Amino acid sequence: MSNNTISEVVKLKRKLYVELVKMMIKENLVEEIDYLPKKMIRDDTPRYRCCEFKERAIFSERIKMALGYSTLNNKNIELHELASDLYKADNINNIVEVIEQACDSCPIDKYIVTDACRNCVAHKCLNSCPADAIVIIQNKAFIDQNKCLECGKCARECPYGAILENSRPCVRVCEVDAIKSDAKRQARINKEKCVVCGRCIVACPFGAIADKSSIVQVTDKILKKDEKTAALIAPSFVGQFGFKVSPETVKYVLLEIGFDEVIEVAEGADRVALEESREAIESLENDRILLSSCCPAFKKMIVNDFPDLKDNLSHTDSPMLTTAEKLKRYNSDINTVFIGPCTAKKEEAADSEVVDYVLTFEELIALITGFEINLEKVIERREIRDASKFGRQFAYSGGLKGVIEELSEGKIKADNAEGLAKCIKKLTNLKAGKSNFDFLEGMACKDGCIGGPGSMINPKAARKLIENFAERSNLKLK
Amino acid sequence: MTKKILEICIGTPCYLMGASELIEYYNNLESRIKDKIELRTSHCLEDKCEKGPVIKFDDKLYFDVTPERLSKIIRKKTQ
Repeated sequence: MSNNTISEVVKLKRKLYVELVKMMIKENLVEEIDYLPKKMIRDDTPRYRCCEFKERAIFSERIKMALGYSTLNNKNIELHELASDLYKADNINNIVEVIEQACDSCPIDKYIVTDACRNCVAHKCLNSCPADAIVIIQNKAFIDQNKCLECGKCARECPYGAILENSRPCVRVCEVDAIKSDAKRQARINKEKCVVCGRCIVACPFGAIADKSSIVQVTDKILKKDEKTAALIAPSFVGQFGFKVSPETVKYVLLEIGFDEVIEVAEGADRVALEESREAIESLENDRILLSSCCPAFKKMIVNDFPDLKDNLSHTDSPMLTTAEKLKRYNSDINTVFIGPCTAKKEEAADSEVVDYVLTFEELIALITGFEINLEKVIERREIRDASKFGRQFAYSGGLKGVIEELSEGKIKADNAEGLAKCIKKLTNLKAGKSNFDFLEGMACKDGCIGGPGSMINPKAARKLIENFAERSNLKLK
Repeated sequence: MTKKILEICIGTPCYLMGASELIEYYNNLESRIKDKIELRTSHCLEDKCEKGPVIKFDDKLYFDVTPERLSKIIRKKTQ
């Protein structure tokens, strides 16, 4: 199983993507889109809200984000208005948004006393509280939320474990503290702090946090015969498209549905490997510890929260940008679509001149389904040989680390951190002068890109498939 | 004893709706039950792609199958 559980909310989102692609192909998006909430949320569809009307209202907001539009800035606009000009979609700013109607305003009292409280004689909770926030009412401890400092001492001291730490799933997973509650107790994302890692999207059990999609824009581009569009597939793509679907079949199908070119981003990663190992050696000579720059979420977190370490960031562009830059250099008119497991890449692309659109693997598989192609039945293949084994290893944590060590012939002592929490630990130590590496590979997702929010399969299985695919490359790194 | 056949569709529409979670569920079954079942994968089960994930167990088709539902279906029929 992938890290990302396929809940009913996830299924509904995927079904929506498929429907939108089908409507694009039938060229009836503008005419039909206002009817879509009613068509997809029927009286007998499983419901999670009070009534089908609220369910449909929320679904309409989901559609706006699927079209690439902000839900927050387009509150009273009808869907067909948005659908009639897809290229006004602001899929540039605020990649991740809270759908207000869907956010259940989870309780925000951090510590609560449960019925397991026995009103024991010791009263360890009461005695440990530094703020005198605990009183005994009706034979049970009670926390005065106005006084509570949220230190957690009472919860640790209670011999019955009767005091519960209660936090919103979105807040709990956000390592950069970007989610707060507004006056209506709804979650709000601080855009400046958010690194678009996508954890909150996966964590919210109400599906109230979503990322904007470019699926309809990309569908439009590949359907246009007079425009050229390239698919840039991330190193982590191997195995994401189904049990028996080979990388070569994925390439064949992408060309078949209208992409004019398919290139491995591992090709750019090859050049990043050379450039970054050269930079690492240069840095070593200048006593500068180098931090990797391929994960945009890791990079943004350093800029935001570790400004002292900003100069340690590698100046090498990410593999995505490197690959796209080369494509655009030879053909400035070509549309570039990056395909990966990542939400942060959506923001990195929006800030760049060279990447036009980003799709996650989830979105691309929905797109292929919309074209009514069953990958498991396709036997045709197209050869893929854009990259060496080095570039292909960027997909999992420790991959870049290994590449840098090998290319520097052991001169560079490299280390790696996966998941923002571990990255923060390493960076904090580095700031305090307590680190023993010359190069740090930082990845915002556990397991690296293969553990990203837009991935489809178990990271362990993905890693094995990628390792095999990397070994299969007979290209040498120039 | 002949084994009951569990066929899970892994075609792209079913895969998108979570067929891999069903395979994972089968793989993690306790051997007492797993020994009574033979797993087969299919590219498409009777063109019911709109209702995925689709499975066939003991010659009967089931639609919109989740791991929880699969658990009930299997346990009911293998007692």
